Amino acid sequence: MIKVNRRGALALMGGTIAGALATPALALNRTVKVGALRFTSHSGNFVAFERGYFAEAGLNVEFKFFQAAQPMAVAIASGDIDYAVTAISGGLINLADKGAIKVIGGALSEEQGIDGQKFLASDAAFKAGVKTPKDLAGKKYAVTQAGSSFHYMGAKMAAAEGIDLSFTPLQKVGTIIGAMKSGQVDGWSIVPHIAKPLAGSGAVHIIGNVADYIPNYQVTTVFTSAKNAANERSMTESFLSGFSKGVDDYTAAMIDGSASKDEMVDLIHKYVYADRPREKAAPSIINGTMRLNAGAALNVASVQDQLSWFQSEGLVKADIPLDALVDTSYVETIDK
Amino acid sequence: MDIRLDGIGHSYGDVEVLKDISLDISSGQIVCIVGPSGCGKSTLLRFLGGLERPKTGEVLQIGSPPEGSLNPLTYVFQDFALLPWRTVKGNVSLVLEGHGLRTDQSSAIIDDVLARTKLTEFADALPKQLSGGMKQRVAIARALAVNPAVMLMDEPLSALDSQTRELLMDDLVDLWSRQPFTAVYVTHNLAEAVRLGHRVVVLSRRPGKIREIVEIDKHLNAREFGDADLDAHQKHLWRLMRDEARAADAELLHA
Amino acid sequence: MLNKNSNGSGVQKETQGRSVTFRGGGFSPKPRRWIGPVVFLFLIVIAEWGTRAGWISALTMPRPSDVFVTFQQLYESGLLAKHLGPSLSRLVVGAAIGVSIGIGVGVLIGLFSYIRSGMVPLIAAIFPIPKIALLPLFVIWFGIGEGSKYALIAFGTFTPTVVATYGAVDNVDRSLIRMGQSFGLSWWSIVRKIVLPGAMPGILSGLRISLAIAIILLVAAEMLGAEYGIGAYILEAGSLYDLERLFAGVVILSLLGVIVSTLIGLIERYMLDWRS
Repeated sequence: MIKVNRRGALALMGGTIAGALATPALALNRTVKVGALRFTSHSGNFVAFERGYFAEAGLNVEFKFFQAAQPMAVAIASGDIDYAVTAISGGLINLADKGAIKVIGGALSEEQGIDGQKFLASDAAFKAGVKTPKDLAGKKYAVTQAGSSFHYMGAKMAAAEGIDLSFTPLQKVGTIIGAMKSGQVDGWSIVPHIAKPLAGSGAVHIIGNVADYIPNYQVTTVFTSAKNAANERSMTESFLSGFSKGVDDYTAAMIDGSASKDEMVDLIHKYVYADRPREKAAPSIINGTMRLNAGAALNVASVQDQLSWFQSEGLVKADIPLDALVDTSYVETIDK
Repeated sequence: MDIRLDGIGHSYGDVEVLKDISLDISSGQIVCIVGPSGCGKSTLLRFLGGLERPKTGEVLQIGSPPEGSLNPLTYVFQDFALLPWRTVKGNVSLVLEGHGLRTDQSSAIIDDVLARTKLTEFADALPKQLSGGMKQRVAIARALAVNPAVMLMDEPLSALDSQTRELLMDDLVDLWSRQPFTAVYVTHNLAEAVRLGHRVVVLSRRPGKIREIVEIDKHLNAREFGDADLDAHQKHLWRLMRDEARAADAELLHA
Repeated sequence: MLNKNSNGSGVQKETQGRSVTFRGGGFSPKPRRWIGPVVFLFLIVIAEWGTRAGWISALTMPRPSDVFVTFQQLYESGLLAKHLGPSLSRLVVGAAIGVSIGIGVGVLIGLFSYIRSGMVPLIAAIFPIPKIALLPLFVIWFGIGEGSKYALIAFGTFTPTVVATYGAVDNVDRSLIRMGQSFGLSWWSIVRKIVLPGAMPGILSGLRISLAIAIILLVAAEMLGAEYGIGAYILEAGSLYDLERLFAGVVILSLLGVIVSTLIGLIERYMLDWRS
């Protein structure tokens, strides 16, 4: 056991305080738990961790991996993890309404010119004449759960086309893929790196782009507990700065082509499709490339649109204001 | 209809329980079978009704059962074996179902046997509402309903207390006096044997053999509780059985 | 000692006596009708008070009065009927299939040596399988519509019914069957008039368990492809983290359970009146 006398202790504390005053973020050196899914859309976190951007920001990041977005939101609410990236869902909004969580930044966005999420038709439906999203009128449209982002995408498309869909909850992406292949459901929407290989195998057909129906769709957001957002300002800023550097590197390599794509794929492959050999994983990772917002900028207009849709469907309370869901004090906001 | 046992022998595994039993049971008589525990008297009764097959020997029916007998060889069990979910009437009607009787025919039979066993007013009672003695009277009524050629009674009074037993013995004597029936009556109670038996067959301990057949000539109606001559018969039977019973008891302890 | 007592000069002989200390009693719980509702009411009041006063956060538990309002809205909007209808038909059809096949197989196991030897290990093997795990398989076999939901509930009620039934058949008093044989009853009469009624108490108490399992499986059955149904409603509420709806749904399931159990109680009282 190390003996510390009072003077020594005071000196130690003084040193710490002095350091904290000099570079607030660096001196934190705190352990934060970050929830992640093994998707390319979470690359911002993976890059920031691997390239030491979190450490530079004074954070000791530990990843907790989840199978689905929903439990991640609950884990933030319960305080088991501090930060995570996921799609806006009814559950997320309700948790925000209960004062448990806040959206603090943006991540994945639909952007014209970059391959985004796809509308799919099952082979059986395609052969029966479903060639465009409009043809899905009255058909079975797969969602994980009511109030999920799949539900939002399908509903927005249906509204734009003036058609009705029969939403079929199947809980898991894996189950949906099985049901699409066997023709038990007719339509679905999903990220390109899942859509393309499925379409390539002939089991399903790509019949449209989500971006055509929901331009500038803020697909995923960065969120944290309401407590962190309100009381842990420096820690949250540190996290966002590390995350943004990771996003910048990802964009430079995968979209702008100003850095090595191979190196980036190698890095991401440590986390995504890690069970496949590199040469098989690489196309999927490249196919999954989408825009991650620089500086974690948040498209507030899109978030508002999503909130309004959930409210109009009666999935969340109609009187929840946007600022119950979003804390805009951390990042730049986009308003179109 | 008479019954003849011809050289019956049986064993369970290595244990020989009955050996060379030959016996004639003639119509209209009650034959009591007594013997120490484990001498195979209940087994013998199961052979008589065809519930079990002897290893050697044969059970023969001589002559044909009386006209209208639905079940010539009919048991009365120690534990009554009444269906608890059927009323008194329902329990009797159980054994009449499936014989193609018309409703009025079977209800006439039921009324008759319930009257003979003094159960008429309990026709709609459930077994759970009846005392042990009443239950056994229902079982007897049920047996009478099929008009048996031979009643096979397996310690029918053993589950009852001694007063009820006396009353039921009187009832059986009454029944027999009004309309004689043939019965094989297995018991370990010598008082029952001398009270009801025209003949008492004494079996030895395992393997059971016929030790002696005691004829009791006194008319059933004339026999009464505590009769001196019946007592003499009972003493004689007890002398025959005492050593056997003691040996059987010791044997059971060793086993 | 004796002397002293009898001559009265020493210790006085007690004539009054003390009453013997009572040592019996206890160990025989009796029903106290009002306790159950009081416990429920107490818990609800605590929850209401806690959520109003704030020492139970909105995230931990919904306010009971809000749950009640949600339930009322559900009823008034007609959505309750819309959810309850499909669920009840799934329950009734699924349980009817599972229970009737279960009783049939259970009786066969109880009566025939070869079927018993063949089926008992099989039943033991499929009993512990979480039927939910087989749901994707059922979807392929029976389609994503009502077929897979009926199948899941039927399969879930089948195994406990089989086990309860053959246990009940085994417990039918053999002396009654022997009696039936001794009176020359046909095989079918013995099964119909002795074995089945005799097994009824065991079958009915097995039914309590099977039907509770059917209600449990309702939520699982409605995981896949159900737009309406109490289970779908609960799952949706869960994914929305909408505690009021979640609890309203759970209360409906509890009520269903209470109703089913009461119904079986009534059937027992009517059919098993003969038990002492």
